[in-house]
Order: sequence, then structure tokens, then C-alpha cells
Amino acid sequence: MVLMLPSPVPSAVRRLFFALVAGCAILGLDIWQRPQLPAQASAVWPADTAVPDLGKLQVQAGGKIPMPAGMAAAHASSLLPMPSGDAASLSVFWFSGDRESGPNVQIAASQYDRSTQQWSPARFVVNRFVMAEQLGYGLRRLGNPVAWLDGGGRVNLFVVATGWGGWAASRVLHLRQSSPGRGLAELAFEPVRVLPLSWLWNTSFLVRNAPLPLVDGGMVLPVHFELGIKYPTALRFDKAGEFRGMVRLSQRLHLLQPSLVMESPHTWLAFMRDERPQGKVSVARTTDAGVHWTDLPDLTLDNPDAAVAGLGMAAGQMLLAHNSSIASRGTLDLSRSANGRDWTLAHTLEHGGHDDEYSYPAMAWVDGALWVTYTVDRHRIAWQRLAAAPLAGPKP
Amino acid sequence: MTVPLDSWLALMLATDAPALPSPSVMQLWLRLGWSAVLAWVGVVAMGRFAPVRARGGAWPITVAGLLAMSAWLPGPYSPAYWLGLAFQAPSVVTALLCAGMLAERLVPSAGAQWSAPAPNRLKTAFAYTGLVLGWALLLDTFALLPLQLYAWGNSAAAVGLVVLVAAVLWVVLGSAPHPVRAHLWVVPIALMVFAAWRLPTGNVWDAILDPWLWVALHVYLVRRIWVRNRSRGFPLIT
Repeated sequence: MVLMLPSPVPSAVRRLFFALVAGCAILGLDIWQRPQLPAQASAVWPADTAVPDLGKLQVQAGGKIPMPAGMAAAHASSLLPMPSGDAASLSVFWFSGDRESGPNVQIAASQYDRSTQQWSPARFVVNRFVMAEQLGYGLRRLGNPVAWLDGGGRVNLFVVATGWGGWAASRVLHLRQSSPGRGLAELAFEPVRVLPLSWLWNTSFLVRNAPLPLVDGGMVLPVHFELGIKYPTALRFDKAGEFRGMVRLSQRLHLLQPSLVMESPHTWLAFMRDERPQGKVSVARTTDAGVHWTDLPDLTLDNPDAAVAGLGMAAGQMLLAHNSSIASRGTLDLSRSANGRDWTLAHTLEHGGHDDEYSYPAMAWVDGALWVTYTVDRHRIAWQRLAAAPLAGPKP
Repeated sequence: MTVPLDSWLALMLATDAPALPSPSVMQLWLRLGWSAVLAWVGVVAMGRFAPVRARGGAWPITVAGLLAMSAWLPGPYSPAYWLGLAFQAPSVVTALLCAGMLAERLVPSAGAQWSAPAPNRLKTAFAYTGLVLGWALLLDTFALLPLQLYAWGNSAAAVGLVVLVAAVLWVVLGSAPHPVRAHLWVVPIALMVFAAWRLPTGNVWDAILDPWLWVALHVYLVRRIWVRNRSRGFPLIT
């Protein structure tokens, strides 16, 4: 453990010279390892055809998504539109087990077949013991999954995985498709890494809402911190699914589960859940594609400390799925807006009693229709398909 | 090909061009890092709690070897599996310090050099720097700083800053007697390991300081202040 330098004893000048050489070597090696700077992010609209009048959306089909056999709990669905050549038009992922936060919770998935117009039987695609073995260290619990298709067409999953502790000890586990195909029968994942988001033993970040796709094939993934306080953050990924940095979305310390909605390619809104009693849907805005964010005044929409999901369909056409009453998740509404500030009820997706729960909505635009999934009483995942004109398929 | 100066500057300052370690290197480091920490902790605990006759001879090296090897056991049989679950991987500086202090205890010749005091003012300066950095990172974790310090650790500029601070401390305060003590090389070697393999996470703050090391720096500095005050005859409680 002794490193000898040539005699005589190094002087300050000699040390300075050595420090300069070593410093330049370290910096040069560091910079050489880094990828090229990404271009400015530019978001892409979800629909590649004309968007119908969102005020005329009607439910075309709906129901419950099949559960894995014997599982009583289901929560936090995430929708993934599939490429047009795939047999399935849509994949959905959620966590399921005996109970939420139970030791046997795994990530379940189902796919909506284009030809049969049916959801496939669900199967588990992520098991915490298998992932832990591949990572080399344990994962105590699994939670919210969020799915994304990278530039290479591989399914990526971002899954909440806890260390020692409850949800506040969560980390975000990044998984990538390891199977040759995306069909549910063969779909398998391998861990890429636990995303490095915090110095404090890499706790306590969680993921919930869908990423905002970018023109370059990458995306921006909204996450939040929730140890004691809560604040939202956005992560950028390139088209290969490599992590490219993080930016805090808000200065406020009571906001979580941001949902990113594009107003234009470089102007985005983040709608957020407010954990305070009597909370409203909160919002922040960027006009430089996520480099800087500014808090805006809360919306007038009530938020009973519940997740929201937003979707920017086209310029001046935004949708927001949200629980609309104070202290209850019994009503789930779909609202529309032209400017992100003023919202009009487009459709009531569910209207139950005070103790009912229709929560954690997810939305996707697929084949000219809006698809919404959400949790029902933490036991099932329900789905609805809305379109401006009747489509073929089973009636709800 | 000439790269324009402003491109270099942009690359230096950018926080969205991090290089992350490969999964296989991360797995290797998880076990290697915890091997060093476990072996050192085991030998220190043995020196303190084991019967006197067991503190000498081949016992310490046997214990250190077994603990180090235990980190390489498969799955849940490995302490690294559970330590990783709770604390992820140790920083490079922590692992190097543990390895160095382990060598000090187990190999007398190396220990003689290692234990020869590095300039106290340099060690103290590094300790205080780590202490302040840790507090700043903790405040940043809870979004209590106006800047996003942890995210900035993804930039080359942060690496440059750490190199600069380490170099300044070493040049100004490091008038080490010949030969230069290995203590002084921990941070530069950690930075070299980080630059080469991006360990442990790709963020430079994770390479040079982890929360356990930060806690240990508090203990080190409090002990140092306590010992100094006692040697000067100051009352412990004023």
C-alpha cells in the first residue's frame, strides 16, 4: 500500500505537476467514456392520424382484464400501445398478488388481441426473486410498473422495488425485454439496473405514470420522491433505453406521481397528485422541453390525494383522467381542456359510492381510440375504450 | 478531428450525458466492495471483542478471508445480497479505505507504512470536505437546496470539481514525508476507478462518499476534536 515517488521528496511544484497530470488523465478518461450530448428533447403526439372531437368520445367497449389465477389484489396498471404489425394492439402491466405489498406480488401482464378483440389470459412476467438473483441483491417488494417501447422495439419496464422499509424505501428498477418477441407467451425481462436517483442509499423514488415519447425514439419518464416529503422529477432516456439524466419538476414538497402532457413539442405540462387534504390537481410547465420547469397555480379540479393521468392528443386537445371528489376515489372522470388550465367534463368513467375505489388511471391512444385502464377496489383492473364513432367489438 | 471549445464546455457541464456502469461490472463491484467492508469490520470487531489469545496469529486473516469470501456466496446466502438490498453498493472510497485499513492490520510491513500518520491537516481537510459534501447531498435529497446537486454529479464538471478539490488539498496541505502515504491516494484512485468503470452508479458523488462513510466521518471528527481538547486539558463539557 505504499506508492513510491522518485527522490528527492516531492516539492509543492512537483506535487502540483503530478496533480495536473493525474487530474487531466482522470478527466480525459471520464469525458471519453461519456455518450454524445443528446439533442434538445422534442415530444411526439400519440396519434398519427386526425384526432376526433374529444367532446364526442363515447364508450365503445369495456370490462375487466383477466387476473392471474388465484390472485386477489391488483393495482397500478400501465398501458403500452404495440406496433401495428404485432398480433396485439395493446399490452397492459400491473402488480398483483395476495395483497398489495405482499411478498408474492409480481408484475402481471395481458395483451389485447387485434383479431379476437379479447384480452389474453394474464400471466406474470416479473418475479422479484428472479430479478434479485440476476441483480445480485434482494428486492423486498414490487409495486407500480410502467411500460415503454424503446427505439429498438424492445419493451422496457420500470418497476417500483423496495429495499428495507415500506414504499418510502422504494427504488426504480429498470428491466428490458430479454425474449426475442413481444408476444405475451414469450415475453421475458432482465434487469438493466436500479436507476441511480438519490444519494441516500438510492431511496426513495417511485414511478407511476407513462413516459412522454420523444421524436428521437427516447422518452421522458416522470417519477417522484416520497420519503417524508414528496416532489416530482423527470428522467430522460435515449432511444436505446439508456438513462440520460434527471430534472426536478417542482419546488413544492407535497406533489407526487406527475403525468406529462405535451402542449407542443417543446412545451409540456406535468399534472400531479396533491397529498394534502382538500388538495387540487397541481401543475408545472416547461417551455424548453424539460430543461426548466415552473410551478403554475393549482387547477380548480379537486384531488383526493389520488393519481391522475394526462394525455396530449393534439395542439389544444388534452385529456385528464382523475378522481373528482374530495376524500373519495369513488368517482373517476375524464376531462378535456384546450389550454391545460380550464377543464370540462368529457365523460364520467365510473361513479360509485364514497367507499368504492376507481383509481390509478392509465391512458393510451391506439388505432383511433382512447383506452383507459384503472384499479377497481384494489382487486381488479378495468378497461374502457372510447371513440368518437362506434367501433367493432364487444359492448360493455 | 477538432472538437470546438464550446462543445467541450457543453459536454463538461452537461448533466444529461452520464456514462453508467454495465450490469456485470455493477454486480462485481457489489461483491468486491462489500468484501472489503465486511473483512475490515470483522477484523475490527475481532480486535475489540474476541478473546485476547484469538486476536493474534492466523485468526484475524482467517476471519477476514472468510468474511470477504462470504460476499461471493450465491443469492441470499451472501451478506452482499442483503446489504445491497438495504444500502446498494459501497462507495469506491469506502472500499479502498477498508481495504487499506485491513492491510494495515493484517500485513505488518504494509501497516507500518499505512499507519504512519499522513499529515493530520490533510486527513482533517478531507474529512471536513466529505462532511460538508454529505450534508449538502442529504439536503439535496430532500429538495432543500436551490440547485440539484445529485443530478449535477452526473456531469463531467462535477468530476472536475472533485479532482480540483482533491488536488488543491493535496498540493497545499500534503507535505507528506517520503514515501507518500497511501492514505493520500485513496481519493485519486477512487476517481480513476470511477472514470474507468463508472462505479458504483455512474454518479461521481456515489463514488467518493456514501452515507455510511459520511456517518464515519462524523465519528472520526468528533473523536479527533475530543482527543485534541483532552490533550490540551480542555474540559469535555463547557
